[in-house]
Amino acid sequence: MDLLHHFELHPIVEIHVLGIDLSITKAVVMMWIACGLTFFFLVMGGRKAKLVPSGLQNFVEAIIGFLRSNLILETLGEEGVAWFPFIATIFFFIVFCNLLGLIPGAFTATSNINVTATLAVIVFLCTQGAGVAKHGPLGYLKKFVPKGIPLWIVPIMLPIEIISQFAKPFSLAVRLFANMTAGHGVILVFLFMILMFKSWAITAVPLIGVVVMSAFEIFVALIQAYIFSILAAMYIAEAVQEAH
Amino acid sequence: MEAAGLAYLGGGLSIGLGACGAGIGMGILVGKTVEGMARQPEVSGLLRTTMIIGIAFVEALALYALVISFLLIFK
Repeated sequence: MDLLHHFELHPIVEIHVLGIDLSITKAVVMMWIACGLTFFFLVMGGRKAKLVPSGLQNFVEAIIGFLRSNLILETLGEEGVAWFPFIATIFFFIVFCNLLGLIPGAFTATSNINVTATLAVIVFLCTQGAGVAKHGPLGYLKKFVPKGIPLWIVPIMLPIEIISQFAKPFSLAVRLFANMTAGHGVILVFLFMILMFKSWAITAVPLIGVVVMSAFEIFVALIQAYIFSILAAMYIAEAVQEAH
Repeated sequence: MEAAGLAYLGGGLSIGLGACGAGIGMGILVGKTVEGMARQPEVSGLLRTTMIIGIAFVEALALYALVISFLLIFK
């Protein structure tokens, strides 16, 4: 009973560029579909914008308004609104990637550690870049050691600060990856239970389990995208804020 | 006591004990949130948002244990 084979990727079109494996796998196709959905969802919501919105425009505006007030204005403040397109894009991409995996036969792109690690590395580069751009390289390093602490704490505090700078994007990646993998893994376990018992009468119980877990997975998909975006915004805000 | 048997044992123990800590943490967290909402219903939106963020942090710790458990069982 090999559970993992649903999470393995096999190349559909093999492309090798200079020794790097760029083959198109199922995950790549799912990510393209997620990007396309994001693009069309937002563009269709913004077309022929009426002053009093209705329908799709209303829905998109509600989500954007919620993201703007909750994610940006609370964490980054007024001058952080420039980061809003980045954070909103990450949110929509992760939402569509997560939700597409619930369709039978499709693959959850974010259940692959490479995808989530890439997103986390992008957020990491943005936080470090924002901090260095705001404070200058030396000023940014000086933020690791707040003023007014005794000198003997610094050798203990500096490695802890540096490790925590690396641990935060790592935890972002692992959180999203593990949530998606575990959720879809539980659904797979329920389905395998149907195969395992090999009787029509018992089918109802794992089926109810699959339905309940799929409903929970929709909830978790939205929550995890929201958590990723708000943590990314908080890390950028933390890098940009004045040293205390 | 072969290594394969011990690996399965370690995988089961890892997620079992990891979920204990996460369960206690989440119970305390949600309990305090409900208490706060009962005291002051007008801030329940803010409390709910903060609770969701807190739950994500606690769940991440349990999920680290799950990842280790997967590594032990399937390698």
